[in-house]
Amino acid sequence: MSKHAKSSGDIRRGEPPLEFDLDRRSALRLFVGGVAAALTSCGKPPEEIVPYVQIPERETPGLPLQFATALPLAGYGRGVIVTSVEGRPIKVNGNPRHPASLGSTDLYGEAAILSLYDPDRSKAPYSSKRIQSWSSLEAALRPRLDRHRTKQGEGLALLTGRITSPTLLAQIEALTKAMPLMRWYRYEPVDDDAVRGGAMLAFGQAATMLPRFRDARVVLALDADPIGFGPEQVRFAREIIEARRPRAPDESLRLYAVEPDWSLTGALADHRLALQPERIRNVAIEIARTLGAGLEEPGLPEEASQFAKTVAADLSARRGAALVLAGPRQPADVQALCHWINAQLLGPADFIAPVDRVATGHSESLRSLASEVRVGGIETLIVIGANPIYDAPGDIGFGDTVARVPFAVHIGCYRDETAERCTWHAPLTHVLEGWSDIRSFDGTASIIQPLIRPLYDSRDVHQILAMLQGELSASSLDIVRNTWKTAGGNDWDGWWRQTLQDGVVPNTASGKISLPEPRLPQVAPAAPAENYTLILSPDPSLFDGSMANNAWLQECAKPFTRQVWGNALHLAEADAHDLGMTDGDVVQLKRGEATLEAAIFVRPGQATRVISTTLGYGRTHAGSIGSGVGFDIYRLRQADTPWLSANVTISKTGRRENLLRTQHFFELEGEAEELQPRLTLADFAKGNRGDFKLNAPDANLPTLYPAPQYDTYEWAMAIDVSACIGCNACVVACQAENNVPVVGPEEIANGRDMHWLRIDDYVVDGRPGFTPMPCMHCEHAPCEPVCPVAASIHDSEGLNLQVYNRCVGTRFCESNCPYKVRRFNFFGYADGQEYANLGAEITKAVFNPDVSVRSRGVMEKCTYCVQRISGARREAEKEGRNVREGEVVTACQAACPTQAINLGNLSDPKANIHSLRTDARSYALLGNLGTRPRTTYLAHVRNPNPDFGKARR
Amino acid sequence: MTMVTTINLDAATEESRWTLPQARGLEAANASIAAPLLERNRWNWLIWWIAFAASLAGSIVFFIAIYLIFSRGIGIWGVNTTIVWGFAIANYVWWIGIGNAGTLISAMLLLMRQPWRASTNRFAEAMTLFAAAIAGIFPIIHLGRPLYFYWLMPYPNTMHLWPQWRSALIWDFWAILSYILFSIIFWYVGLIPDFATLRDRARTKAPALIYGALALGWRGSAQHWHAYEVLHLALACLGVPLVVSLHSVVGMDFATSLMPGWQETIFPPYFVVGAMYSGFAMVVCLAALVRWGFRLEGLITIAHFNVMAKVMLMASIVMGLSYATEWFTAWYGGERADRGLLAFEFTGTYAPMFCTLLLCNVVIPQAFWFSPIRRSIATVFAIAVLINIGMWLERILIVWNTLSHDYTPSMWRQFLPTVWDWLTTFGSFAFFVLLYLVFVRLVPVVSMHEVRKLIAQEGPR
Repeated sequence: MSKHAKSSGDIRRGEPPLEFDLDRRSALRLFVGGVAAALTSCGKPPEEIVPYVQIPERETPGLPLQFATALPLAGYGRGVIVTSVEGRPIKVNGNPRHPASLGSTDLYGEAAILSLYDPDRSKAPYSSKRIQSWSSLEAALRPRLDRHRTKQGEGLALLTGRITSPTLLAQIEALTKAMPLMRWYRYEPVDDDAVRGGAMLAFGQAATMLPRFRDARVVLALDADPIGFGPEQVRFAREIIEARRPRAPDESLRLYAVEPDWSLTGALADHRLALQPERIRNVAIEIARTLGAGLEEPGLPEEASQFAKTVAADLSARRGAALVLAGPRQPADVQALCHWINAQLLGPADFIAPVDRVATGHSESLRSLASEVRVGGIETLIVIGANPIYDAPGDIGFGDTVARVPFAVHIGCYRDETAERCTWHAPLTHVLEGWSDIRSFDGTASIIQPLIRPLYDSRDVHQILAMLQGELSASSLDIVRNTWKTAGGNDWDGWWRQTLQDGVVPNTASGKISLPEPRLPQVAPAAPAENYTLILSPDPSLFDGSMANNAWLQECAKPFTRQVWGNALHLAEADAHDLGMTDGDVVQLKRGEATLEAAIFVRPGQATRVISTTLGYGRTHAGSIGSGVGFDIYRLRQADTPWLSANVTISKTGRRENLLRTQHFFELEGEAEELQPRLTLADFAKGNRGDFKLNAPDANLPTLYPAPQYDTYEWAMAIDVSACIGCNACVVACQAENNVPVVGPEEIANGRDMHWLRIDDYVVDGRPGFTPMPCMHCEHAPCEPVCPVAASIHDSEGLNLQVYNRCVGTRFCESNCPYKVRRFNFFGYADGQEYANLGAEITKAVFNPDVSVRSRGVMEKCTYCVQRISGARREAEKEGRNVREGEVVTACQAACPTQAINLGNLSDPKANIHSLRTDARSYALLGNLGTRPRTTYLAHVRNPNPDFGKARR
Repeated sequence: MTMVTTINLDAATEESRWTLPQARGLEAANASIAAPLLERNRWNWLIWWIAFAASLAGSIVFFIAIYLIFSRGIGIWGVNTTIVWGFAIANYVWWIGIGNAGTLISAMLLLMRQPWRASTNRFAEAMTLFAAAIAGIFPIIHLGRPLYFYWLMPYPNTMHLWPQWRSALIWDFWAILSYILFSIIFWYVGLIPDFATLRDRARTKAPALIYGALALGWRGSAQHWHAYEVLHLALACLGVPLVVSLHSVVGMDFATSLMPGWQETIFPPYFVVGAMYSGFAMVVCLAALVRWGFRLEGLITIAHFNVMAKVMLMASIVMGLSYATEWFTAWYGGERADRGLLAFEFTGTYAPMFCTLLLCNVVIPQAFWFSPIRRSIATVFAIAVLINIGMWLERILIVWNTLSHDYTPSMWRQFLPTVWDWLTTFGSFAFFVLLYLVFVRLVPVVSMHEVRKLIAQEGPR
């Protein structure tokens, strides 16, 4: 964490020193001017100012507005509805009309709002070590472009990430038409080359599989993580959880997972097998053989072989509702084999033409750019929105490559690693600042509309492309409208308005394509690897690293390890034991020439001989938050097999590092089973609870306290632990909604954190599980009687409230909270000591004006989003009625992709919350303490295959 | 000046006496106590000055730490989200425990007619006063917003806000406040006849004036003595329940919670005994130092150490029983959290400290069963120091163990003290020493009139 010891000098670097050259007269003049300024400084500005008499259209001061737009992740869009307060976007919500959102969000979408106000964003073009104007960039670029144009674009190259924007694709196409020899390369670190290759191999044509999980009853994930982090996460998680909602075992989706490390899918699965990535193909072969494929018999260890056979039997028994998925880490032939298996099983999956139309692989594209540069074929390189110096696979050597390009321009939101190596850098607008459009993973297009004028002198991608085409004053709105001008029919303006309102362009989802019968690829079984294999995955917090400067994401605890502010190498328990290593030991990884030193976490349940880690860390030019956090694994990444590298050696360095986590893991003696009880569906369906003891929410213990009185509403929350996949969307949503500050790595190391909602990670029987922990709003709240100044009180609607300005900070409430959900401002985390950006003025724009910003020395905690309750109550009172069911939705509830969180009013006898509280699975956490929590849980239910006997890991 | 008391003509036997021959006699007692105050030049103050300089430096550090707590916040301490209490609470309980013994010695022993208290009660009461005052600092600086500590008081305000009376912290606030006020009054009342003695013995004008003013016109008349005796006895009767309630309330700060290891009915009596225990240990330390520093061997005798060692022995047995009761109920109750906490105490992060505390508080004091150890000032002093360390460890571990290992394993964390934790702790000790050094230089360390009474009762040599 050496980087965090930064001096305030850092932020001043680059500013010219102030110089004063004063004589007596001018000093006096300044003095008089200063006195005059001081006299007027508290009043009106000297110029005439115009009061807010004419309110802008649609704007009512104090009332937020909602705008539909879309946010990209790995190039694919997720529809969102952004809340804007007096022209200032403050919160991202899901768009129910959008197929990749369904009304929910993911943590990256929630955190995008913080990046908008990131003070480290690039604010002006930059070249020759100083800021420049756009016109000087244009002046430098124009003669070069003119020269390329005369040569039909020879020597000009464009490098972008994955592009699904119809407008941008049209612009690139137009540019290519004007300059046929111009080359367009594209590279996205979270690629899908193997998946794409698998479809090519199986069907002879490119196709994207879209599983229909709602129709599936048995799913086998072979190193696949459909509910893991990515643009499809929300949709797939929703579908899988809905298919698994407790009902008869045969009607509920049973999930099997074979994977080398832990994924969210593996955690959710009813049966999971840890296996080296190379040998996962053997499971696929085994299953294909039972379906009649003439493939060589794979050698599998007894346990794995038994697993494969049982799964194969289950899959075959549910023909038509059985599906096998292979993840992007598996090579193309395994992918193709899975397509063949699915065809035999009549698996519920649709195929569409790839939304990303470029056929060339990502690594291949980047490599051909590198070799083109090496032979001197590129004179001008325009990098738009990509950061290949950081995220290119190490063996391409892209850093040296860019240095050879005579004229390289980087256009991006940050002056990042690539910007530092390019001749020019120019700022790109944030996605919430400009017009554009984008397709989701299933092809549905959305119009991206700006929520705010660009904060800085930046331009969006369409303006950049127009500039390359020679148009200097293009309007992005016109360019985007132009793309869609044929779509709207007669009433185009109405269509456009409706489309913007909906956030989805109607009828744009890709149509299903019919494919030939997949071929059976000749897949040879693999022998177990001799050495260690390094496997990578997108990071649960930072994804690919482009969002590394987002403090909300940096401080979002990763599932399984609860690590924050850094990444680690994960090692199986047995391997760590053999190597004599424990958590925090720094090891040296070596693959060929490349080496890397990093600290390890021992991860029970990971396959042996596997080292797993995540992308996105080790940034050097991310900004004041993200630079220097963690280690950069891209350097060890291979272009050919980007997600795994075989033959890695590992050795101890003897050093240790303090890895930061928000939850520590202990050997427990039954606490986990009590706090996170697990049922099996078969037992549950029979009404048999087994040895499962639940504190039913309404089994109230005797008490001496008088019964509480409520006048109107009685708010309560029910959280379905079965539906929680551990994705952290709720955690970041809560942070955004409630102005929850970040504390920074030093404070995390001190054991402090501020999240109002945390995810508890408990391992029962070797299987991790997740429990979201907001405040329980106990009816007999232990925090209330101990507060000497009545800052912790109960209101008439059953909410346990914290009165910030009454709090003196005795912290007795947190001492006495059995759930430990209260958070104390040991320093002024939100108010003057914001981590690392030192409270830059612009970051205050992100605050929700309905929620107080807490000062130093006070306690705070989850309020059930009391500001939203108040808002709904005001609306209801205006109309002279009660708040209706579903009118109050907390931020965590709105964000949850699987709708695991439900808030309701207990005083309404028809409310759904009653059925959730009386459900057979319902339990009160630590209800035996007599706290009568208003937040209750629905127990975790698995649907194990009875053929397995006892549920195994 | 004469004393209204009966001279016991049947002289007591040498064994049952609480004074040595060289101090026997009313004038001898007066002279040996008053000399350091009135005849400064004849006294060697070098060691006092060295100690004063050191404790002044430590006190400055203490106040710098307090300044930082106000200016930067309590984040400078090692307290964290799980273990929200730390050294400040432990120090508070420790100091208030020490603050108990003076009153116990003065009031309880007075009511129990233990004559030997005469030579020790004055400096024990001073210790009480200073310890209670320092203890009173900690609950304030421990607050997240110490500026608003007065919100715990029921004062009229425009928002009609009152304290929340169910909170043990409010009871605590009143308990400390009334105890400090009581201690000041009790101490001062006991000092009035001695101030008069000093006024009368003063050879220069300034002390005569200052001590005269402090003596409030005491003339030693029979009426004065009568009023004094009645008031002193009445205060003593008030003091005993107060001291018991004070530490019971401190115990209830923990016991009225929901946490394993805190929610125990044994806490109030157990805290009272613990307070008496650490207080006596501190009195023993101070007695040894005062005896040595002011050459009061004649008044503070081996017999005093012997009897105080016996009290500590008794207290150590009660403490051991209390610990055992806690463990037994945790096990017998069968609650997972309680049993888990018990296992954590013996095997967890703080287990070495826990074993040290058992050693210091229960095992080592068993040496007091042996008379030679009770009668050696060196060993009594050493064991008393260990008891004070052990009692401090007990207080910090009550806070740490429970908060580090409660109902929610996902939030189990450790406490890592920072340099400011240590500086506030040792700084408060330095401040105590500073106050004490000022006290011994200005006020008679032993109650002259009560010693005279003791000598008179014991009869002539």
